[in-house]
Amino acid sequence: MKGKVIKNIITTVGLPVLFGALIFTLWQTKVLHTLFKTDEIILPLPTRIGSIIGDNFTNMLPQIASTMIVALGGLILGSIFGYLIGVAGAVFKKWGMGGLTIVSAFNAIPLVALAPVINNWTRDLSSVVDIRSTVAKIITVTIFCTASMSVNAYRGLTEVKPFLEDLFASYGVGKFKMFFKLRLPNSLPYVFTALRVSVPACIIGAVVSEYFAEQVIGVGRQIRENIIKGQFPTAWAYITVACVMGILMYVILLIVEAIVLKNRRAR
Amino acid sequence: MKSKRVLAALLAASCLATSFTACSGDASSSSAAESSAASADASSSAAEGSSESTGLMSDEEIIKKASSENKVGNWGLGNEYEIQALLSKYGLPTDYITMDFTMDQIDKDTITLASAMTFNELGLIKNNYDGGYNYGDEIGVIDMNDQGVAMLEDNLFCTKEFAKNNPNTVKAFVAASMKGWTYACEHPDEAAEIVFKYGSSVSADHQKYMASEVAKLVTTDTKGKAVSASDVGKMDEDAMQQTLDLAKQYIKLDDATAADKLAKLTLDDIRSSDYLTYDGGAVEKSDLKVQLKWLPQAQFMGYYVALDKGYYKDNGLNVEIVSGGGDVSETVAVSNGTVDFGVTWVSNLINANAGGMELLEVAQVYQRSGLVLCYKKSQFTK
Amino acid sequence: MIKRITSSKGIVTAVWVLGLVVIWEICAFIVGATQRTPVNVLPHLYQIIGSFFDTKSITGSGDTIATLVFSSAAETLSRALIGFIIGMVLGYILALLMHLSHIVEKIAFPYLMIIQMIPILGMAPIVLSITGDISSARIIIAAILTFYPVSTNTLAGFKSVGRERHELMRSYGASKFQLYTKMLIPSAMSYFFTGLKISAPMAITASILVDTLQGGNGLGCMLSQSLKGSMTRFVFWDIVIFSAVIGVLSYYLMGVIERAITPSKRKAKKKAQ
Repeated sequence: MKGKVIKNIITTVGLPVLFGALIFTLWQTKVLHTLFKTDEIILPLPTRIGSIIGDNFTNMLPQIASTMIVALGGLILGSIFGYLIGVAGAVFKKWGMGGLTIVSAFNAIPLVALAPVINNWTRDLSSVVDIRSTVAKIITVTIFCTASMSVNAYRGLTEVKPFLEDLFASYGVGKFKMFFKLRLPNSLPYVFTALRVSVPACIIGAVVSEYFAEQVIGVGRQIRENIIKGQFPTAWAYITVACVMGILMYVILLIVEAIVLKNRRAR
Repeated sequence: MKSKRVLAALLAASCLATSFTACSGDASSSSAAESSAASADASSSAAEGSSESTGLMSDEEIIKKASSENKVGNWGLGNEYEIQALLSKYGLPTDYITMDFTMDQIDKDTITLASAMTFNELGLIKNNYDGGYNYGDEIGVIDMNDQGVAMLEDNLFCTKEFAKNNPNTVKAFVAASMKGWTYACEHPDEAAEIVFKYGSSVSADHQKYMASEVAKLVTTDTKGKAVSASDVGKMDEDAMQQTLDLAKQYIKLDDATAADKLAKLTLDDIRSSDYLTYDGGAVEKSDLKVQLKWLPQAQFMGYYVALDKGYYKDNGLNVEIVSGGGDVSETVAVSNGTVDFGVTWVSNLINANAGGMELLEVAQVYQRSGLVLCYKKSQFTK
Repeated sequence: MIKRITSSKGIVTAVWVLGLVVIWEICAFIVGATQRTPVNVLPHLYQIIGSFFDTKSITGSGDTIATLVFSSAAETLSRALIGFIIGMVLGYILALLMHLSHIVEKIAFPYLMIIQMIPILGMAPIVLSITGDISSARIIIAAILTFYPVSTNTLAGFKSVGRERHELMRSYGASKFQLYTKMLIPSAMSYFFTGLKISAPMAITASILVDTLQGGNGLGCMLSQSLKGSMTRFVFWDIVIFSAVIGVLSYYLMGVIERAITPSKRKAKKKAQ
């Protein structure tokens, strides 16, 4: 059993790393450039990107922190919000579905349109630019993360195996209790499915919201500044940082998921 | 039972909605008070006239006050160097707040010293046509040319390789474009109508304002001296050198290789005046694309006039004008060959060449900086 | 019976829409009373709708807002549709491959996520150099942005099939091909459609986003022109409302298609009635 787990970890981590090493080699030896018909200006070599990160890491820390606050804040708020909407949908079947639709309607408004409007709405919030700008960014990410959670939560809460429902009903379990004992636990895997979408989404959302923010800070802001100014190596350094942030969050999510769902199975 | 559900649903809906709008709702009352106070100020200052006696602060005091409140605005993305040079000149930190591409922020006083192009945003904040904010003479202006921190803006460029391989094409294109500019500067109203016909933009009024202001930038140099409209495109060595010097000082690069390259750049690495005259040689490439720095508007009237009047056709060229303002910047589009020519600011070109691109300016259209800082006078009375 | 259900469902939607309209209008009223440029913050709905039917031409070529929005939408939505179809097919094939082979899953999954996280800003110039022209670059980027939800959801669907059903099929001597066509693919259908429901509106927002990469005639171009003050702000609001409506319709459309092609869902629906 233990051997199997170790083997599992080795393949889960090892295979992507191997594949990554292959890509890395193709990239560094410029095979990738020939393949994509592009040049070193637009797709800089990994060593150059690495050296920029190495040279500027301390300068990057405040940018990373700022983006992380926005991404995490939005992810947490959006997930809670989305789950509550899912619950509302499951409890008030008839009325809640309307709410779900409204949420997906918000999701159909492009971020590039949403971010500037939210900037306008939060303008009166505080005379301190850092506060109002951070709030605006978090709201943007929140909206961006809500829909997938609400749809998945709704599924998880409603798609209960019929025989279990019957079983609970035959024991005379009330609707309220059934909700907590049956529906909530049943929705857990769905929550993680939603998070697998939301975790990368919250990083993207944070990055894009920074493009439009009043504050001149954040990984996303640096990416845009450098791309527009034609400084692709630096931009790619920040893109790499954003990806690493996302991967770390995703790995943490996978670990939490493994622990939570394992306990659940064991029970 | 049923009504309870309706209530709950409504509650959920209002929660949803308030979270999106709360911010605009509760704080707006305070801003109302503020804005009425501001307008009272404005009317009193208007009554007394705008002479020194009203106690309007000096430019230096205005800049220092706005900077200390962290209310200096700029768009960033390579447009900030002149502002940073100005702030440094007065020994201030070079921080600024990002402006969206409207004047909402100065309108609401979240920024008190806002960047504006003389031909675009300044017109919007002052004038009362569609999209304008109608502040009129309440708006004061600090000009980068007067402050000695002017950097040259709109130029015409291509890659060094393209210029080397297609010298006649470049010359023919530059000549036709400059002919368009000369005509446009002499007939700004007509040029504005042509631009309005080609690009979709808010109001013909604003285009006309823009055309007349742009004509001033093309026919006046940084020191305020007149430039003949027939000299359009020439490169003023002093102004170019000042632009490069300021760029070297204020372009901050994280990339050591690029920073090194920037420090070593000379004017010869970024511009060549060899392409300003065309002697009628056969063009090597006739289908050309030029990408603008921004949306279709009178800022680029010379190219639209050249297209409309057939100046490009006369030189055997078939030109398509690609609008800019997107995230594939003109420097990138020219560098990777998607388009042949681009219109950009000299500082953007310097930045791109430091980053490894090989771009070459072939004509300098704007002879002075069109960037100003504008402010509401009511915010800066003593 | 059926009539009663549909009519009551109609009421639910109506109440929701009405509630939102009321809240919007209250906010717009407050904004209108306190802000100097309310149009930039939150205009009244009737103003937005009115502007859409305004016959005044707003461009040099004589377009009204409505004709401008429709002609831009035709361009953007056709790109969105192509991008969506490519993304859907790609996403489904990837999910199949990942389920068929553990090695593929383990290699591909992290990279799928990383691709999602590379900002379009960085990706666009590269895609542009590969394709050489902006409109196919836009389609490809839209596809890249949409396939991830399809992939993850479909894969989750394949995995949701319990071991007991696998064993049952095996005991019947089903081949791998039959295993997929008879059991896994039908079972994963509802998951697949969940993915589609998420990615259909995403395809639309993605193609509006990629419009803004360079000038042109798409919705995104008009949206950004309006935001940058070179067109009336109502163009922006009209496009926001328009894209939200189209997004919701696309979501519903996926539901309609789902019911049309998955028999089990149809039966379940009947039973519920």
